[in-house]
Amino acid sequence: MKTFNIQPSAPNAQPDIRPSRPRRLRLNVECWLLNFLSISAISIFAGCSKSNETTTPNAPPPQKQFVIGMSQCNLGEPWRVQMNADIKAAADKHPELKVIFKDAQNDTLQQRAQVEEFVSAKVELLLISPKEAAPLTEPVAHAMAAGIPVIVLDRRLLGTNYTCFIGADNKKIGKAAGEWIVKALGGKGNVVELMGLQTSTPGQDRHSGFREGIAGSDINVIFRADMQWLEPNARQEMESALARFGKIDCVFAHNDPGAHGAWLAARAAGREKQMKFVGIDALPQEGVAYVKQGILDATFQYPTGGAEAIDMALKILHGGRVPKEIVLGSRLFTKANVAQGGEALN
Amino acid sequence: MTSLLEPNRNTALKEWFASPALRACLALTLILVLGLVLNADGAFFKIGTHRDALRQMSVYGILACGLTPVIISGGIDLSVGSVLALAAVCCAKLAIHWNWPGTAAIALTLLVGAACGGLSGVIAARFHIQPFIATLAMMVFARGLAKYASGGMKVSTAIANPDGTYHYLDVPRLFRLVDHRILGGNLSVVTLIFLACAALAWLLMARSVWGRYIYAIGGNEMASRMSGVPVVLAKTLAYVFSGACAGLAGICQAAQEQQGDPEAGTGYELMAIAMVVIGGTSLMGGRGGIGLTLLGVLTIGYLDKILSINAVPEAGRLMLTGAIIVAAVLTQRRKQT
Repeated sequence: MKTFNIQPSAPNAQPDIRPSRPRRLRLNVECWLLNFLSISAISIFAGCSKSNETTTPNAPPPQKQFVIGMSQCNLGEPWRVQMNADIKAAADKHPELKVIFKDAQNDTLQQRAQVEEFVSAKVELLLISPKEAAPLTEPVAHAMAAGIPVIVLDRRLLGTNYTCFIGADNKKIGKAAGEWIVKALGGKGNVVELMGLQTSTPGQDRHSGFREGIAGSDINVIFRADMQWLEPNARQEMESALARFGKIDCVFAHNDPGAHGAWLAARAAGREKQMKFVGIDALPQEGVAYVKQGILDATFQYPTGGAEAIDMALKILHGGRVPKEIVLGSRLFTKANVAQGGEALN
Repeated sequence: MTSLLEPNRNTALKEWFASPALRACLALTLILVLGLVLNADGAFFKIGTHRDALRQMSVYGILACGLTPVIISGGIDLSVGSVLALAAVCCAKLAIHWNWPGTAAIALTLLVGAACGGLSGVIAARFHIQPFIATLAMMVFARGLAKYASGGMKVSTAIANPDGTYHYLDVPRLFRLVDHRILGGNLSVVTLIFLACAALAWLLMARSVWGRYIYAIGGNEMASRMSGVPVVLAKTLAYVFSGACAGLAGICQAAQEQQGDPEAGTGYELMAIAMVVIGGTSLMGGRGGIGLTLLGVLTIGYLDKILSINAVPEAGRLMLTGAIIVAAVLTQRRKQT
């Protein structure tokens, strides 16, 4: 009969039968050491979280202070770090604004708690880039009920119980990328599509937009893979595409790190000159930098809306009216126009 | 007479089939046959495919080499993925931003990795905290440290100026060297690093006193302690080795990405553990070896590559990988006597 092999050697599973020896003193020392370690670790963490909630430096006491709370769903993605930086840069120009940043670390409940904290701290305005729609709709509604205007960034909530939504349209950007590729390839060619996580809305929208953009042309998508937004995966998938196909005219990646990974793979194969590389996001230190360095041929900005959020916040705080929904435009960066800061897409 | 000989031959045959090395070879052969069948219009027969497959599995392989002694000693190290990220950030910072010479950057990065491993090793071995918990704590801590050290951003060649614009540094020579190819472009340097790491691990496990201790501890920790094996030291050193390997893997990762990504290596620990186990090293400790781990690395690495060149969609890929891991481990199960 087959049974699982339970070895008598499983660590820590046996009663300790070591010869007894005076250990109390040592144990005490060890306890102290552990205590010390944990205390210092906690204080380091406390220090970190404090530095997370940075405030914008203030010029001499302004006429009226407005405190704005900003809850970011996570700061693991460079794009979100950029959004916070954009908000901070825009707010720094207005000494009467004070922005408190909080990072929900990709935890819906933590973000909910942050919204509640801002409400009980009676901030004048709430900015939120929510992680998920359903669980955060009600906390935002409570803030609205408490008389705090709310600007929602990037991802939507259920219903319309907020003051203003600012976001970009992934489908439109995907379509613009598709149309640019059709034009750049003269209407026909072999394209590799490296997709973002296909269970995420941006990944799906960029894909369907791209399909719309190339519809009706002789562009042939010969290889399609889900690289989950990750550069190492993109490089790996691109290597497979290179091994399989002798003629690739263009690589379209759903984000710039993906396009960079594909370029690294093509360069290692000595074929990077034979094809164009197109990405999305156009962060200054990523996509735009890659275009400047001649790695990418084009990248489409997925704007963070940070500056627009502060504009709208000022209007709201000064009693003005703002549109319910703002769809941000995108910018195209190519080698030709990157020095001039790209060109706006309509 | 024949009736007497028959059972003998059977047991010999059975023993031969029971050898874990043979079974691991069998699993690898099956995967390679799968590659011959699903060759993606001949892509599987190109040298480049195999070079790339070997390059891709190298980072995982280095982690798996480090994990093997820990697992043979009856422990587990969940922190290798996070330590990889910390090492990648550290190495990128030193090599790109601070312009350290390659050897110094490598040395300090390896030291950081070894220190992380050493810390979780001491907690696990000296304070008798279960290795699962001790290394889980290190996994979380090292990820946090990586994010703290990098400021939450990728450490890349783009440097922000005070006015919001960027200037760009060169990719350091260290990164170019590691991401280089030799033998007419047919072998990646990363693969060589992996093989060197495997050779070192094999030497330590098969030829050193420490290696014998590790097998003894994994086989029966109590008996080893009673017979004078320095259990705490030997176990701690296993984690130090694992941490240093994770550091090395981090250097390779950073060189290939030309940046230090604090989010790198998420989930790599599970892949590396799967590679060790598929090779036939027992999670209960005491049995296994680096040779088996190499076979395991090749098996999973090639499976990944074959699914990739055939552009199998993500959902199918995950399910197939899971099914094949179970199948491979089932063939590794020993007959009880």
